[in-house]
Amino acid sequence: MRPSSRTFVRRRSGGYDVRLGEDERALIATLPGQLMALLSGAGSTPSDRLHPALRRLLPPAHTSDAEAERVYVTLQREDIAAHHNEALSTLAATASATHLEVDELASWLVAVNDLRLALGSMLQVTEESAEPLGGDGDGDGDGEVEGNEEPYSHAAEWAVYHFLGALQSEAVEALADTLPPPLPGADDMVPDDPWGAPPGDLRWDGTPRPAE
Amino acid sequence: MRVPLPDLRARQSAPAAPVTEPVGTEMPVTADRPVTDTPWHVVVWNDPINLMSYVTFVFQKLFGYSKAKAHRLMLDVHYKGRAVVASGPRERAELDVTRLHQHGLWATMERGS
Repeated sequence: MRPSSRTFVRRRSGGYDVRLGEDERALIATLPGQLMALLSGAGSTPSDRLHPALRRLLPPAHTSDAEAERVYVTLQREDIAAHHNEALSTLAATASATHLEVDELASWLVAVNDLRLALGSMLQVTEESAEPLGGDGDGDGDGEVEGNEEPYSHAAEWAVYHFLGALQSEAVEALADTLPPPLPGADDMVPDDPWGAPPGDLRWDGTPRPAE
Repeated sequence: MRVPLPDLRARQSAPAAPVTEPVGTEMPVTADRPVTDTPWHVVVWNDPINLMSYVTFVFQKLFGYSKAKAHRLMLDVHYKGRAVVASGPRERAELDVTRLHQHGLWATMERGS
């Protein structure tokens, strides 16, 4: 990508200039409200009974202990939903801004990811179908389009999904140099992978292991 | 911020009491490592939606890892399906899971072995 086509351009005086078209700005002004409306109805509903668009935004913390999960939802759900709401509301409120401060772009990053999670869940994105320009996910030649029976029926949603992915990718890149320096010793605090590599060609979650 | 979450299993192990009889057999307690001291693992699971660059970014931001370490953990998530990204006391693990959920990552916690 040519430098001149970047969406977020760092300013020496602070923050970023934002280069987006009117249609794109209209999109990111409108979408957050829909998701916020859904989020407001989440309450303490268990993750697996949430609206499909919310399941990846509010996933379970405990998968093998129902009581611990119930307590987690009771104590943390509100905080987590509020964090998503705040980011989405910032995105909607600054959708037409030509300049963003660092913390505003950080909110954009979270909010755009939220929109992708919601949209991706509804589109039943798989690794194959998630490839930009891959589209139909039939590259494996097995005749199956995993979890995505109607690959061509949501062209507009797929277009939005890919636009949001590109936007998020640029936001990550733009924010990279705002990260604080690594904490001394933090790298050593993580245990070695206690499971090692899973046997066979499957991952631990049972999905096919992608080629390296 | 401390999360005032009770340890729901603490009752079963009664670690400090002088043990004259086995109290229960559900949770075996080894002599040198009581269940209550076992660290919890924060596990991030692979998903087809989150961008690899974003996952690396979040690991750096939330845990203060170097870019190289964050990148390796992200690759573990991607290629193996899940990775332990942090480990510690239960309350700490719960806070980490909450922060990962706030950033849209698919995180769970489980007791280490």
